[in-house]
Amino acid sequence: MTDAISISNAQLRFGETAALDGVSLAIPQGTCFGIVGESGSGKTTLMRAVLGLQKLDQGEIRILGNPLVHSRAALKQRASFIQPIFQDPAASLSPRSRIRTLMNEVGTVLREPHAAMHERLRVILDRLGLPPGVIDKYPHEISGGQARRVAIARALLMKPSILIADEPTAGLDVSVQGDLLNLLQDIRRSDSITLVVISHNLAIVRLIAENAVVMRAGKVVEGGEVGSLFKSPREAYTRELLAAWPGVTQSGVSG
Amino acid sequence: MAISLRNLSVDYSLSQGTAHALRGVSLDIQKGELLGLVGESGSGKSTVAFALMGLLANNAKVTSGTATIDGKSFDLTKRNATAALRGRGMAMIFQDPMLSLNPVFTIGTQLCEVLRRRAPNGDRKTRVAMAEDALDKVKLSNPRRRMNQYPHELSGGMRQRVVIAMALLSEPALLIADEPTTALDVTVEAQIMREIISLRDRIGCAVLLITHSLGLVTEYCDKLSVLYAGERLESGTVREVQRQPGHPYTRMLFDCEVPIDRERHADASENRFTVISGDLPDPRRRPPGCIFNGRCDVSFDECATINPDDYPVGNDAGHSARCLRLRAS
Repeated sequence: MTDAISISNAQLRFGETAALDGVSLAIPQGTCFGIVGESGSGKTTLMRAVLGLQKLDQGEIRILGNPLVHSRAALKQRASFIQPIFQDPAASLSPRSRIRTLMNEVGTVLREPHAAMHERLRVILDRLGLPPGVIDKYPHEISGGQARRVAIARALLMKPSILIADEPTAGLDVSVQGDLLNLLQDIRRSDSITLVVISHNLAIVRLIAENAVVMRAGKVVEGGEVGSLFKSPREAYTRELLAAWPGVTQSGVSG
Repeated sequence: MAISLRNLSVDYSLSQGTAHALRGVSLDIQKGELLGLVGESGSGKSTVAFALMGLLANNAKVTSGTATIDGKSFDLTKRNATAALRGRGMAMIFQDPMLSLNPVFTIGTQLCEVLRRRAPNGDRKTRVAMAEDALDKVKLSNPRRRMNQYPHELSGGMRQRVVIAMALLSEPALLIADEPTTALDVTVEAQIMREIISLRDRIGCAVLLITHSLGLVTEYCDKLSVLYAGERLESGTVREVQRQPGHPYTRMLFDCEVPIDRERHADASENRFTVISGDLPDPRRRPPGCIFNGRCDVSFDECATINPDDYPVGNDAGHSARCLRLRAS
């Protein structure tokens, strides 16, 4: 089966800094792939490149086997199978329009009849635990957790086969972050979506992803199957990241 | 000298009514001790810090509360009650270091200002030397050069180090750190926490660490207080609270934390995460009974009517929680 996303030797410089410095990776279809690293490691730049929002200086990105093309038409076409959930949900919702307007855009892009689209939306909102009335609200009238769900609802409404989530739990309380992660897990299973999770939260990536890469200064430091990657990291940097992780450890609770 | 805060209550007047952000919160911190105050958003944890520092917003009103710092008592209901202590007896590290740093002055000027406030008669040369020494102590590279730099020239982690150096110079009796590492990467977080601890060891102050991260508290703090919807539900040593949480909320919070060594299902899509269902109660209308009643998994009839006292948990004298299940039987 072709990979959902394959990247070979991606290079990108912003002035003096190499944001991406020879990144290569392959994400198999139907799996969850984690990209971890600290700020400035190039995680988000890589996501933007995969979405076609950022041109590479060099290298190639293929989505479901097809090379990424930078044109308006290609961007629009890509939107129907690859969808992002941005880090700051509020930034992807226009403060001046109701959530209904945002959802209607999806219908326009997909050229789907209004009624059919709203019927699908009703099912998605219900599944995400959002009240149907949420579409008549403005972004400032809903909570941070709800805004994130709205962003997910919009992404799912596009019926994507690949979902890229940038820091999906950043800024959420521990009591609600689990809810969102369980939701992503459910979506993965029922819709056999390829899920890419970009996060600095190693503990979460370790649990939801099959494969992951650790990035630092635009390079992939280490990658592989999550179980062995976290159990016996080969690179000093990965070990340093794991050691710095503050935490309630299982051993700590029992002892 | 111990720091104590007694019966702190704070109201915010909003256009939709009065929100009771804190209700009767008490804390005790011994000299040289690190107390972690944990709570989720809306629990009022930052309001505790702001009430102590006298930095509350204009629509806030302290309706009750006394602080004892360095042997002196302060009536917090009076405006600017602790003004004399700011920068001398108390220092604060904010989540955003730019809240403590002035963008138009060099690092050196701002550090010397702290010293001038403490000892107005000292000479400039000594101050500069002390400031450089402080930067060196918080392990900021090339202190002499940093003295002439402006805050925008430094990274987030470096700025937080400068703020810690400022706290170091003011030699406070109480250091309040409000989410000091939330905006930082894990490796930098570990370094900053080590600097806070070495500051505590150096000047022997009491530290109040305000955070939403139980991980941070269990890793670095001696004691722990749990705040929920403006009320303190549990307090004790980190070890005891972790071993035997007295309040269901504390237990559920610990369950929600994702340990880095949690058992992992071979099929990653089978891994589930713990959630505390329900929402925070309306801060304008406190329901009768236990504040956590609506979300508790072990509540019973009386929980809806009786507001629990602070009961001891286990045999440890310092460990208590407000849950009816702990009533002496």
